[in-house]
Amino acid sequence: MADLLAIEATVNGRRVKKNIDPSQRALDFLRDDLNMTGTKEGCGAGECGTCSIFVDGTLVKSCLLPVAKLKGKTVDTVEGLARSGEMSAVQKAFHKAGASQCGYCIPGMVMAATAALRLNPDADRDEIKERLGGNICRCTGYQKIFDAVEMARDFLNGKLSAATFDDLDQEDGKYIGVNIRRIDAPSKVTGALRYAGDMVLPGMLHVQVLRSPHPHARIVSIDTTGAEAILGVEGIVTCADVPGQDGFGVFVTDQPIMARDKVRYVGEAIAAVAAETLAAAREAVKKIKVEYELLPAVFDPEEALAAGAPVLHGYAPDNLVKHIPICNGDVEEGFAKSDLIVEQTYETQQVEHAYLETEAGVAYVDHDGIVTVHSPSQNVTHHRHMLSRILNLPINKVRMIMSPVGGGFGGKEDMIYQGMLALLAMKTRRPVKLVFTREESIATTAKRHPSRTTYKMGLTKDGRILASRISIVYDGGAYGMSTEGVVRKGVILGGGPYNVPNFRIDGYGVYTNNTPSGAFRSFGSLQSQFATETHLDICAERLGMDPFELRLKNAMHTGDRTHTKQVLNSCSMERVLTAARDASHWEAGVPSIRGDKRSDLGGEGTRRPCTVTPREPVTAEAEPLKQRGAA
Amino acid sequence: MLTCDTYLSPGSLNEALAAAAASAGQFRFVAGATDLLPWAREGRAGDVHVPLMIDIAGVPELKSVKVQGDRLWLGAATPFQRFLDRAELIEMAPGMPDCAIWFADNQIRESATIGGNVINASPAADSIPPLLAANAIVELAVLRDGGIRRRRMPLSEFLKGPGLTAAEHGEILLGVECDALPDHGGAFEKVGHRRSLVISVVCLSALVRMDASCRSFQDVRLAIGGVGPMARRMTAVEEWLKGRTVSAELLRSVMAMCDEFIQSRTRQEYRKQVAPGFLMRALAKAMKRAGASETACAIAEEVVSG
Repeated sequence: MADLLAIEATVNGRRVKKNIDPSQRALDFLRDDLNMTGTKEGCGAGECGTCSIFVDGTLVKSCLLPVAKLKGKTVDTVEGLARSGEMSAVQKAFHKAGASQCGYCIPGMVMAATAALRLNPDADRDEIKERLGGNICRCTGYQKIFDAVEMARDFLNGKLSAATFDDLDQEDGKYIGVNIRRIDAPSKVTGALRYAGDMVLPGMLHVQVLRSPHPHARIVSIDTTGAEAILGVEGIVTCADVPGQDGFGVFVTDQPIMARDKVRYVGEAIAAVAAETLAAAREAVKKIKVEYELLPAVFDPEEALAAGAPVLHGYAPDNLVKHIPICNGDVEEGFAKSDLIVEQTYETQQVEHAYLETEAGVAYVDHDGIVTVHSPSQNVTHHRHMLSRILNLPINKVRMIMSPVGGGFGGKEDMIYQGMLALLAMKTRRPVKLVFTREESIATTAKRHPSRTTYKMGLTKDGRILASRISIVYDGGAYGMSTEGVVRKGVILGGGPYNVPNFRIDGYGVYTNNTPSGAFRSFGSLQSQFATETHLDICAERLGMDPFELRLKNAMHTGDRTHTKQVLNSCSMERVLTAARDASHWEAGVPSIRGDKRSDLGGEGTRRPCTVTPREPVTAEAEPLKQRGAA
Repeated sequence: MLTCDTYLSPGSLNEALAAAAASAGQFRFVAGATDLLPWAREGRAGDVHVPLMIDIAGVPELKSVKVQGDRLWLGAATPFQRFLDRAELIEMAPGMPDCAIWFADNQIRESATIGGNVINASPAADSIPPLLAANAIVELAVLRDGGIRRRRMPLSEFLKGPGLTAAEHGEILLGVECDALPDHGGAFEKVGHRRSLVISVVCLSALVRMDASCRSFQDVRLAIGGVGPMARRMTAVEEWLKGRTVSAELLRSVMAMCDEFIQSRTRQEYRKQVAPGFLMRALAKAMKRAGASETACAIAEEVVSG
């Protein structure tokens, strides 16, 4: 048992004294002992900056700070900035500039911005960027954040009046074409908003999950006796605890709440433990014994489609989640008439959503026996229906509450952990909470589908597309999740906004033993459109034609019919393309023969390309720390 | 997750060493903790239990920074941010400000210490090349036979390999002593996957002093890191440049000498392309800061821009 550490500190102007576990970080102390959850945990490794706090006036990352280092110190958190009830200038500026979206990074950003302006009240945009370098945002996009810091700077320096923050942009009754302030921004910039991981309920237990180390294995046995013996463990669930019809998924319900009979990917949940403390739950997970019989695994979707490949799911002996073909005209005839045939293969990789808020949830059974789950789910109603069937409960006994989503991008559409929480709440009859670590989130949750596209296009000499044949294979990973929808969207949008008289596209979603692929912004069309647009650039080069000209020649217009037989009653392709061409000062010509000093780079209205440039110390060779003004 | 039974924050070196000696080896020293906490996570060490944590960041001897003659003492607990905001350090350790700005981010620089960076001995440790270039020696202390045994050794001998040093368990790195170089210009080049919080794929430190004509190198110190098991001084390059007048031919002649330092397990070709450019850029910057003549600077700039 640990020797409790006496911590006396001043936090947001108030003296606090606590005897606490010395293993805690400053972040745990603030969140768990003082219930100040404005300071967030996004990574636990000092990478993201959601946990930034002031210690004796210096900004540090509280996830890297042992709590003992707070002894006798003055600590200020995001809650302290608006203690009077009035937001600070930086917070007001973030609200005004629209610099918060999911809001999860925002308390840290506000703290870093405050620190930057305290250190140099005249910081220019480059210095602001440098000083906010340790804070990551995933959805707002940094521009509005930098705009907000500049706005706060100018206000604090007297160059902007207080009215800057107060003025409402909107005109009476008008919402389109005017800037509308987010109604939830104040709760985000002050850290008041509680995400699922910030929720605390009396008697709450902490959940940890045992996960598969193997990509494909039969589960011979699961022995939880060692784990149950650990003091503080209140409940352990496996697939055997599922009372109803197990299986979830958006299109095919092929995924059990926890692995049933076999594991199909590294990181698949096998058992979940609820215990009085996080440490006890973690210890218990290590004590669960699982005997595996290893099975051959397959990691490439094309190998998975070949005869004799390892089979993941009994219902799909060909490892096919879904094949969607769309055919229009006669591609062979089109190729025969073409002057130029271009063939190429394109690949895209797996991508992690990397929302700042990792997966988290709280579940309990309420006084009416209603199983209630709070989670940042992007699909609560669907989850509720699935959970009702899985738990064998009538729909009115299952409640899913959507907590604020700290970034989703599609990654929170699948019900990968809510089922475990519901089962543990039912088994222990106590509230339970699970917060994924960043590593767990990256290793075990759905990703963007990796893809391989084989393209053949036939064109006339003057650049008219006569035929396209496209085959796109999506790696769906171990479970179906959103794969069918992703494939469908990919084949619907994959040809791009071009008239192709003879067109065939085949989309395949395939099971492999990779991490499951799921929903992710653009939902399958990014992969196929990347292939189409790259292919058109190659064709332009081969035809000796300007790539805009080639696209405009084949662009769809109002009244044209797509390959899915949809007649477009409005099509702005040509307008958009010419507007982009003109705005970028595009230098017309064939990509391959244009000069190395292109006139359209770095001109008016264009941005410099992204580069990692040498950097200069922002404080070196200047006078020591400036400490004037107060942000 | 890192757990401990006891966390001590001793106020003196004696106390810290005595606590370590009394614990039968079941302890770990901690200073900034910015490497330690991420280390005890999934994918690296996993959950780690250390019965006794001894926080030495508050030990006065480790916090001191002073100039003694032509040598500069940097207490091991000196945070990296001080190389950016303390005028005395900026003047005496010209190799450090550029290194510090590339080190982690401004928040971690307030916690992370120079001693921690040295003793963790990462092949990509940012502070090691500039310290090697400044002829650093380390000082260690341990409790032996009831007294404090101190010893000193050159940093180059202290480093034994990736994550390995000559320090014994129970020995505290007190600090680093290096040349005070007020008349040198310094520069540091680094590349990784992004700007902040990034591990060096290549990092290179240059310290340059010009002679009275401001056109010839009087002294050149170079060290490269991230490209092999340990950072190294580029002695052959230094010797070739010392005493010679800056010319485009001279500068170009040393670019090819970078190859032999690239001994990494991966991405050798990339590193071989990057290193000569870094060498030129660092030399050009360091020369300029050392007060090289306009002509010499212009020559270096021309070589840098290819």
